[in-house]
Amino acid sequence: METRNFLTLEDMEREDLRAVLDLARAHAEGRLGHPLTEKTVCLAFFEASTRTAVSFELAARRGGADVISLSEKGSAIAKGESLIDTVVTLDRLGADAIVLRHPAAGAAALAARHTAAAVVNAGDGCGQHPTQALLDLYALSGSFGGFDELVGRRVAVVGDILHSRVARSVIPAFAKAGMEVALVAPRTLLPLDAGAWELPVLSSVDEALGWGAGVLYMLRLQRERMTGARVPSVAEYARYYGVARRHLGAGVLIMHPGPVNRGVEVSGDVVLDRASLIPDQVAAGTHVRSAVLTLATGAAHEVAA
Amino acid sequence: MTGNDVNELVIRHSRILDPATGLDEVADIRLHAGRIAEIGDGLRGVRELDADGLHLFPGFVDVHAHWRTPGREDEESIESGSAAAAAGGFTGVVMMPNTDPVVDKPAIVSGLLRRIERESRVRAYVSAALHAGLGGEQLTEMRLLKEAGAFCVSDDGLGTASAGVLRNGMLYARTADLPVILHCEDHTLATGVVHEGAYAALAGVPGSPASAEDAATATALILAAETGAKVHITHVSTALSAALVGFFKERAEVTADTTPHHLTLTEGLVSTLDGMYRVNPPLRPEEDRDGVTVALRDGVLDFVATDHAPHASEEKELPFEEAAPGFLGHETAFATLYTELVLGGRLSLIRLVEAMSRAPGRWVNGSGSLQVGAPADLALVDLSEEWTVGRDVLLSRSSNSPYLGRSLTGRVVGTIVGGEMIYDRIGTRLGTRT
Repeated sequence: METRNFLTLEDMEREDLRAVLDLARAHAEGRLGHPLTEKTVCLAFFEASTRTAVSFELAARRGGADVISLSEKGSAIAKGESLIDTVVTLDRLGADAIVLRHPAAGAAALAARHTAAAVVNAGDGCGQHPTQALLDLYALSGSFGGFDELVGRRVAVVGDILHSRVARSVIPAFAKAGMEVALVAPRTLLPLDAGAWELPVLSSVDEALGWGAGVLYMLRLQRERMTGARVPSVAEYARYYGVARRHLGAGVLIMHPGPVNRGVEVSGDVVLDRASLIPDQVAAGTHVRSAVLTLATGAAHEVAA
Repeated sequence: MTGNDVNELVIRHSRILDPATGLDEVADIRLHAGRIAEIGDGLRGVRELDADGLHLFPGFVDVHAHWRTPGREDEESIESGSAAAAAGGFTGVVMMPNTDPVVDKPAIVSGLLRRIERESRVRAYVSAALHAGLGGEQLTEMRLLKEAGAFCVSDDGLGTASAGVLRNGMLYARTADLPVILHCEDHTLATGVVHEGAYAALAGVPGSPASAEDAATATALILAAETGAKVHITHVSTALSAALVGFFKERAEVTADTTPHHLTLTEGLVSTLDGMYRVNPPLRPEEDRDGVTVALRDGVLDFVATDHAPHASEEKELPFEEAAPGFLGHETAFATLYTELVLGGRLSLIRLVEAMSRAPGRWVNGSGSLQVGAPADLALVDLSEEWTVGRDVLLSRSSNSPYLGRSLTGRVVGTIVGGEMIYDRIGTRLGTRT
């Protein structure tokens, strides 16, 4: 039985992505059954999360796994147990997969060095959030009619790239899928060396549409950053880095990892518009996470057999 | 016969000096439809001005002025500030945002621009604030401010709270594509009201050390280099700050100015204990004045800006510690610098003219030259006129000039903006040919 970690999108190849999406589709179509039967999946969340935690738990339970859930509150984590000690404990309790959410980049990789269980990164600081990027590819492939249909399309990643683990996963994911990617953010929400990705840096949603973006991937602006040292006001942010009804048309698609700040990144009348893939992204979550857990625990081989 | 074109003016026989091209000769110049149409000999026109014996320079540009509007129109208004600017040969002025209210909202910028359109004799540009209320915390809506017509951003009047705040401000200004004008002063060091030197020691007036300016200048320059923002350091007053600017010239998109008063006055005036001489940054020792002068001569400091800062008499006729800092600048700038530096043999006339016209003009909008096709913004100057600075001759609403009572050589006698004489002390020479 071969297990594997899902730590970062950076080390996944195009065919790895396709394999996850194919398996997710099989799950969505009910062809996977209960691949996680007799597997133990531990959810270790060192940072508050609702959607991701629920989505993973649902995926694990529907796949037939035993699920142990450690959240920040009411667990050893709250008592100050170290990451490594928690991981070693879960390992000895027989975890097949550890789904880890942590406030520091690199936490998932550190955990993986201390357990034989597969580690699935459910978001580490401003580092990576690989399952988010995978479910985004799944939703986008569904919309365009297949993974190969993404090749050559233009996507603009808009907003707080500096503080976003979602950005650090979707940027390589879109690139590996063959898409052309541009970044749209004020310099205060970009790393100093924004050229590190070797991508164009644009200064507004309008400019991104002029560049030919067919997909606008809107990032969440944390509430505490809306008015202050990095962003002057919601009005100015929404004007240049938010998507409004006037931007729709010519088939442009809107994505957002959630939860949306209505009227900030996405105007209220766009969130549930036909142009919005946001509901599809949420729906893709459990299918993709089932596929990821199936691959992580090595159950995919058993399914294939 | 070219018709009775009132859009045309020929200025004859002036000595034309254009630092942009090196032109320096007696010639005639034809202005047409607001622009320079022709320079040559024997030009004639319906409207002529005999400027024999006068010098003609590109109009001066002042990137640092406080016209106190909105809020303190008792000290200066757009009308009076622009009249004072015109009397000093200035054809372009940047208005600083430390008004009441602070110019930190797009609606205030657009309101000011409408008033400028009606009330200003010269071209005026609006600097918006870098931080809301000049508070050093919340960025202003720089992109909306730019759309409203703001020319640059500045928290002038106040130094910056912290390097981290300033860095984000520079990054955001770069995004908004707005230049940042910086008043470099570290408030943890600048706790006094005069330069902390021998005169402060003897007079018992609390001093602020030169490091208050130098440390803030170094920080600003380092951050400018790192962020790639377009930064202008205003009123450099120490030799060390000038040297720091020089070090960063090739490493950052940075320019700098110094003021007429830092080029001509020194801290010795502290011994008068007269609040009139309080200014920020404070008047410095002779070594700094000389270092700043050399830096201006060599182009390390790009240009002169006056920091024209009108104050009501009740705010200046006070002991040093209670007086408001700041001097009038527009009306005496050229004459003081010509008298002290050019006639004193420390600066060439052409460099002085460049530092007041071409260099700031280029920074503002590429103006400041006398090439054919350029806007007809000009200053006519009588380099031989001797005059005495007095309250009666100043057009500013305030009279807080540190040069009151001084005799100066060289005086602006006419200022032309867009081909129109907007300041004219030689009307008798203006003749109309029939």
